[in-house]
Amino acid sequence: MGVAAGAGALSTAGVGIQQLLVTLHRQRGLILVLVERELKARYRGTVLGYLWSLLNPILLLAVYSLVFTLVIPARVPTHVPYPLFLFAGLLPWLFASGAMLDASVVLLDNGPLLKKVMCPPEVFPAVTVISHLVHHLLALPVLFVGIGVAVLAGRATFPLTVLLAPLALLPWVVAVSGLVLLIAALAVHFRDLKDLLHNLLSLLFFLTPIIYTPELVPAGMLRRLVLANPVTPMIQVYRDVLLLGRIPPLAVWGWASLVALVCWGLGTAIFMRLRETLVETV
Amino acid sequence: MSEVAVRVSGVSKRYPMRPQRGRFHSLKGALLRGELWAREQAKDGFLALSGVDLEIARGETVAVIGPNASGKSTLLKLVAGILHPTSGTVEVAGRVTALIELGAGFHPEISGRENVVINGMMHGLSRAEVQRRLPWIVDFADVGPFIDQPIKTFSSGMYVRLGFAVAVAAEPDVLVVDEVLAVGDQAFTHKCLDRIAALQRRGTAILLVSHDLALVEQLAHRTLYLREGRPVMSGHTPAVVSRYRSDVASQEAGEAASEVRVGGKRWGNNAVVLTSVELLDGQGRAVGSVRTGEAAALRLAYHVREPQEDFVFGIAIHREDGSHVFGTNTDLDGFRPQRLDQDGEVRIEFPSLQLAPGRYLVDAAVHAVGGLAYDYACEVCTFLVTAPVGWPGCYAPAHRWRFSGPAFEAPPSEP
Repeated sequence: MGVAAGAGALSTAGVGIQQLLVTLHRQRGLILVLVERELKARYRGTVLGYLWSLLNPILLLAVYSLVFTLVIPARVPTHVPYPLFLFAGLLPWLFASGAMLDASVVLLDNGPLLKKVMCPPEVFPAVTVISHLVHHLLALPVLFVGIGVAVLAGRATFPLTVLLAPLALLPWVVAVSGLVLLIAALAVHFRDLKDLLHNLLSLLFFLTPIIYTPELVPAGMLRRLVLANPVTPMIQVYRDVLLLGRIPPLAVWGWASLVALVCWGLGTAIFMRLRETLVETV
Repeated sequence: MSEVAVRVSGVSKRYPMRPQRGRFHSLKGALLRGELWAREQAKDGFLALSGVDLEIARGETVAVIGPNASGKSTLLKLVAGILHPTSGTVEVAGRVTALIELGAGFHPEISGRENVVINGMMHGLSRAEVQRRLPWIVDFADVGPFIDQPIKTFSSGMYVRLGFAVAVAAEPDVLVVDEVLAVGDQAFTHKCLDRIAALQRRGTAILLVSHDLALVEQLAHRTLYLREGRPVMSGHTPAVVSRYRSDVASQEAGEAASEVRVGGKRWGNNAVVLTSVELLDGQGRAVGSVRTGEAAALRLAYHVREPQEDFVFGIAIHREDGSHVFGTNTDLDGFRPQRLDQDGEVRIEFPSLQLAPGRYLVDAAVHAVGGLAYDYACEVCTFLVTAPVGWPGCYAPAHRWRFSGPAFEAPPSEP
C-alpha cells in the first residue's frame, strides 16, 4: 500500500474512493438510522423538540435584523435588505462550519462503536454531513419567508432562480463531505486539530464575503485575498441563486465546482489512506 | 470454505509504539513532508500476536486462553474484522458478530427500542429483520416496558441483558465472545449459555476468550493457549486447560514455565516422571487391544526425582476426534496423598471396560492438587477396543434383551 510515486498514489486513491462509495452504499440503512438518532437525540427532552430546528434560524435572523438595522445600520450594494443578505450567506457557512467542527470529534465520540462493534468508520462522517444538511434544509423555509416578507414590503423581488437551488447546494455538499472526511481522519491522529479548526474557521469567516460584499473591501492586497479565497465563489453561487435572483457567471460556477471536487478528492484520499489506523488510534 | 467458518493463517499483529504525540511528528510534517503516505516502519512497535494459525469449522467452538497481554483479545478483534493483521490472512465465511462489550454504542438519550434497531443494524441485520426479532429481544432481555424509555434510565443489568440479546438475535455465522457470558444474575447467565448452545447447534462457529476455565471446559470443543502472543498449545480442551493450569501454578510457585517435550504434547517440571503408560488385559499383560466388556487396567509407572507430599495421578480417555470419553484422578476419587519418595506404579482397573469398538487415546498425568504438573503426557498411549459387531458411540454398557412373547428365536450362541 505504501506507494511513494505520485501516479501510484493517485491510483490507490482512485481505488479508495470507489471502496468508500461501495461501503457507504451498503451501509445506507445504518446511516439513515444513525441520522435519525442524531436528530432525535439532539432535541430529546426539550419542550419544543423539532421546532428548534426552525426556531434557531428564525431567532438568528431576528437578532441580525435588529443589530444591523437599528444598532449598526449596514449597507451593501444590493437591492435586498441587509439582514436577508447576511442570512443567505450565513446559512451555507453554518452548514459547512458546523459539520466540520462535528467532524473533528465524531470518530473519537463514536470510539466504542468502532472498537467494540464492527462499524465501518466512514459511516460517521456521512452521518455528520447528512444531519447537518437536514438542519440546513429545515432552515431554508425561514429564508424564503424572510424573502416573502421583503417582497410584500416592496424591498425585494422574488428570486425565480431558487429553482436552481439544488445545483447551488451541490458544490457545498460535495466540498463539505470531503472536508468532513479529511478532518475526521486527521483529528484522530492530531488532537490539536479541533482547537486549531475553531480559530481557522473564524479567520476564514471574516475573509469570506458573508457579512460584506467583495466590492466593499478596499482594492488591493486585501480584496485580492478575499477574491482568491476558495469559499468566495461558493458563497457567491449560493447567494446569487437563492437570494439575489441572478444566475452566477459560468466562471464563478466552474471555480466553485473545482473547489468542491478538490476538497472531495483530497478528503477521501486521506481518509482511505488512514482508514486502517483509525480504529487502533481512536 | 464450505465447512471452515474461520481460517486464520500465519497471522501476526504489531501495534505501533507511538511517540506521545501520535504516529506523525506534526500535522505539518504529515501533510508537507509526505509522512502520511510513507509506510510505517514495520520493525517498530509491540508484537501482540505472532504466527497464529487457527481454523474453526461450522458449529465448532474454540476457546482462547492465556494470561493477560497474551494477545487473546487482539486475535478476537482480528477475526471480528475490527483490526487488520500486520501479516498473514484472516478469512471468515458469513456474518460475524462481536460480543466484546455488551451494549457498546447504546445512545443514552434515545429509547431502548431505537437503540436495538441501531445496534442490530450494526450487527448486520436489516431494519426489517430487527423489527421482526424485536419481540424476542425484549422478551429475552426481560426489560419489559422499559424498552420505550431512554437507555439512560436502564439499570446496568438491563443494559447488558439488552446488549446480549441484540447481539445473539442476529444469529451470526461466526460469533466472537470476549469474557461477557457471566453478566447479570444466575438466571440470565443460564439463559446466555442456553442461547450459546442453541447457536452451536445451529452451526454458528464460536471463538471464545475467557479466563473462566470451567466455562471454557464446558463450552469449547478445542482450545488455543497463547502466551506473549505466541501459541503455546492447541488441541482438545481438557489437555490444554490442564497445561495452562499447570503453568499458572508453577508460575505462582516461582518456577519457570514448565519444560515442554515431544511436540507440545508433554510438559511438567519433572519432579515425578511417568516412565510408561500401558493398557493391561485381565491377566495383567500389556496389550494393544481389548474386547468390549472385558476386564482391563491402565498402568502408570513412575520415577520420583524429588519426593512429593502433594500429588495426584490422573487419566483421561478420548477419541481421535477429540471427544472426551472418560477421565478421573485420585483426588476426585477421594485419595489423600501421603508421600511419594520412591519409584513405583499406579493402576486403575476396570472390571469391565464398557467401551464401544474403536481406537482410544489416553492422557496420563501426575500433578499437584493445585494443577502444577510434574509430568503431563497427552496421547501417551493408544489402544483398540474390538467387538464382533461395530456400532457408533463410545459407551457399551452390559445389556440383555427381554421379550413379552416368543417373537424371536434365541441367537445361536449366547455367550
